[in-house]
Amino acid sequence: MRFKDRSLPYFMLLPMIAIMLGLVYYPIAMTFTYSTRNMILTKPKEAGFIGFKNYFKLLQDPDVGKAFFNSLYILVLVIVLTIIIGLLFALLLKRDTKIKGALTAIAIIPWALPPIVNGVMWRWVFHPSYGIINKILALQGSMDEPIMWLTEKWLVLSIVALVAAWRSIPLACVTFLATLQSIPDHLYESACIDGCNKFAEFRRITLPLLRPAMGIILTTTSISAINVFDEIVTLSGFGNATKTVMVETYMRSFKFLNFGEGSALIYLAMIATSIFGIFYARSVYKEVEYL
Amino acid sequence: MKKIIVLMLAIALMVTMFAGCTPKASEDAVEDVADVKEETEAAEPAAVEAQEITFMIPPWGEPSAEALAAFTAETGITVNLNIVGWDEIRDKISIAAVSETAPADVVEVDWSWIGEFYAAGWVDVLEVSDADKADMPTLTSFMAEGNVLALPYANDFRIGYYNTDDFDAAGITEIPADWDAMVEAAKAIKASGACEYPIGFTVSATEACTTSVIWMTMAYAGDFFNADGTLNSANLLKTLEFINKIVKEDKLVDPTMVSMTDKEIYGTFLSGDTATIVGPTYVLGRMANPELSAVVDSSKAMLIPGRADAATTSFALPEGIGVTAYSENKEAAIKFVEWFTSPETQLSLYETQGLIPTRNSVLQQLIDDGKMTNGDVLMAQSAAIKPAFPAGIPNWYSEMSAAIYNAVNEMVTSDLTPAEAMDQIHTKVDGIEK
Amino acid sequence: MRNSKKGTLSITLYILFVILFLLFTLGPIAWSFSLSITPASDLSPESPILPENPTGENFKELLSSKNQQGGIFLKGLRNSLIAGLLSILIGIPIAILTAYPLARMKFKGRQLVKNLLLITMVIPVFATIIPLFRIFTLFNLIDNMVGLVIIYVTSFLPLSVWLITSYFETLPRELEEAAIVDGCGRFMVLLKIIIPVSYPVIFAATLIVFLTTWNQYLIPLILAPSYATKPIAVVVSEFVTKTSINYGLMNAGGILAVIPPAILAVVFRKFLVKGMVSGATKG
Repeated sequence: MRFKDRSLPYFMLLPMIAIMLGLVYYPIAMTFTYSTRNMILTKPKEAGFIGFKNYFKLLQDPDVGKAFFNSLYILVLVIVLTIIIGLLFALLLKRDTKIKGALTAIAIIPWALPPIVNGVMWRWVFHPSYGIINKILALQGSMDEPIMWLTEKWLVLSIVALVAAWRSIPLACVTFLATLQSIPDHLYESACIDGCNKFAEFRRITLPLLRPAMGIILTTTSISAINVFDEIVTLSGFGNATKTVMVETYMRSFKFLNFGEGSALIYLAMIATSIFGIFYARSVYKEVEYL
Repeated sequence: MKKIIVLMLAIALMVTMFAGCTPKASEDAVEDVADVKEETEAAEPAAVEAQEITFMIPPWGEPSAEALAAFTAETGITVNLNIVGWDEIRDKISIAAVSETAPADVVEVDWSWIGEFYAAGWVDVLEVSDADKADMPTLTSFMAEGNVLALPYANDFRIGYYNTDDFDAAGITEIPADWDAMVEAAKAIKASGACEYPIGFTVSATEACTTSVIWMTMAYAGDFFNADGTLNSANLLKTLEFINKIVKEDKLVDPTMVSMTDKEIYGTFLSGDTATIVGPTYVLGRMANPELSAVVDSSKAMLIPGRADAATTSFALPEGIGVTAYSENKEAAIKFVEWFTSPETQLSLYETQGLIPTRNSVLQQLIDDGKMTNGDVLMAQSAAIKPAFPAGIPNWYSEMSAAIYNAVNEMVTSDLTPAEAMDQIHTKVDGIEK
Repeated sequence: MRNSKKGTLSITLYILFVILFLLFTLGPIAWSFSLSITPASDLSPESPILPENPTGENFKELLSSKNQQGGIFLKGLRNSLIAGLLSILIGIPIAILTAYPLARMKFKGRQLVKNLLLITMVIPVFATIIPLFRIFTLFNLIDNMVGLVIIYVTSFLPLSVWLITSYFETLPRELEEAAIVDGCGRFMVLLKIIIPVSYPVIFAATLIVFLTTWNQYLIPLILAPSYATKPIAVVVSEFVTKTSINYGLMNAGGILAVIPPAILAVVFRKFLVKGMVSGATKG
């Protein structure tokens, strides 16, 4: 009995551990070994262990710096957009009306789109000549020349962020909604006995209680923002100015067939992401006690 | 609550059973994809030696079910089709190569991959008779150091197209023979109001832009690559200056084309929004199809304008198939490759998929039979095809291509001058460890 | 924002925001739909926003199995549905099995396991795809639906376990303690007591699992090369012929591809919200 009880947790965790070890931890260990080798597939004779040379080369490459910067820009913009719009929509959905159910269902729909389909769809929205945005603007007569949504560097990056945020908003919205709905009404009532206005109430009561929700949302949104790939390629191809870390990794590994560099770059990206993760964990993970 | 769960579990169980929780789901593939194949041939021990190969090809190269059945009946080889998007095929081959396997026995090999594939040793050398070599002039694109690495199955070379309505509206009676005349014609069209941006040209940050730069250089300036395998900078600079002129100075090219893929640009020709393009041979088929084109009666093919010492030059971008080095069924694979590029199959592929044959004999036959429109222009242009890389395609083609299309894209979207763009390309190309 | 005032200003604002909401959420999809009913020859920079000659051709082509494209599309749909179902059947039990010890049992390395699981969320697909391909080829798992699903499991397991663990932690301990006193083994406690009470979070996790699986693109692209296992996301991206990208088909395919998960989302939406509560309030 005793032994069974003590070892039960390990047995229950076994499937998960087996899968994660075999299909996640082992592969990234392998990728690390690739990153320490000179692994250019078109030069098989030059393969061999080269220590951290790939890493040094990457850290000195200005293109890599640009890529990290672009990724960072997209990350920040996605987070800002997702949280603000997600919260707004959650507030909207909280209101008890007849259409609340329908609206909730509609809010989830963008999540159902595979990223590649998402990319194509938004390309057709922002395409300088076929896209609907420019068509509407042209109809209005408010512009003489079509706006080059997909080539101006900042426009493209912002649009990519918009597209990625659009996909992440459903989860954020639902999480916020759940939190909002679980805030007991009496909290607001007791606060309002002394007279208050909506904004103060929002700032003092609602916002702090949303903190834990932010934890999930920040994490999942950041991860999907960093991993954006299909949408960027569909929207702006492999242009130098708009490359992100993921695109750069893809190009080095799969276009130039330099798997050593590609693997090293992925590791650099993971290290950067982990730093963010620790930063979040420290500042957001506080349990809020309320009655 | 319980009932719903039980119901769902039951449904799930049924679906899983139908899905066949058997390890190899490829039995399904064999059945579904080619109806007439003898499915379990490979599994059952039969009297005939049954072999099986996997063929990885983009959607447009898929042979008809009847043709495949005939092949299997004749040779006893079952063919499993893996239809994969063109861009992904190369990714798959490279990923598999890391594990020292191949994703298929016979794979698509694009002309631009030959340099890399040869250096990496991913495809086997093929034996080709001299007669076949003569019949398939584009074979040279698939050779490295005298070895044939793949056989071409679909031909494609650049040819010019123009919109007769626009040309008439501008009063142009003679097809421009060189690029200066073409620019004049375009200006006239623009002035007449028939078309605001007459010339279509790929300037986006995609591989297609490099292709455009290559044919433009060959037609307008001269050799793109020298015989010793180096980039001809002088000619490339001339091309860059020309592109700069028609896009930024004369404004003959639609500025939104910087975001368009090449296929979208050909689409603008088919919808009548562009007056002239230089595009692949398949546009011929599309422009005559009323379901796809708005210019059925007003589009024609023409020779690519040239220069003083070369009336017209084009280059070929054929697609081929090869046998992977890691394949375990090489004999069967070779037989398939030969069958796929045989005259009968090329004819069948033209009829079912519209692929232009790579054998001159088949091409001539189709033209004689009247099955190919604009045939005279096709043949004339075909006679003027030159290889872009006389010494073979370098194994650093990808890096160079990225340098070129990025430089061109930057040049047309900013104040970068052609000379600066050229410098950028130089720095990048020189920095490649060759 | 409380509902005490129902003044006209409040209602007007509400309606305004609802319209903005609908535009933002459904706008791009509506445009995609418009494109999917535009015939190919009319697709041009000058074409109007609403097609003049709408055609149902694209949808017809995709849904008829006799047609080549239709056959492929329907197969892709089938594959995605099967993958989704398998993901749920395999993934949810494992998630529950993992969450319970992490929430309720004390054992050495509990925090470590929790952290190691969460950290894997950071890992991008590119980092593991090549070694995974090697492993799969070694074990002959390429084109194997179950093998694919197990990889999907690794991608949604951390989040699902996180949610379910949070939920379990909010359950009163008295429930289990009563059962244990009665002589129930811990595992039985999980099965007979905890799970029936946790259906909101389980449904929430189910929805997340299904959607994550439905959206998979890169992994099946590499590991599921044949039509037997190709999911819908890959199929839709491949409506590219040598001669053109068939945007009409792509858009139609995209719209059809949204329908099954959308239906699921509509049906499960209440549970999704309920199930997220614990995760959202405990973090």
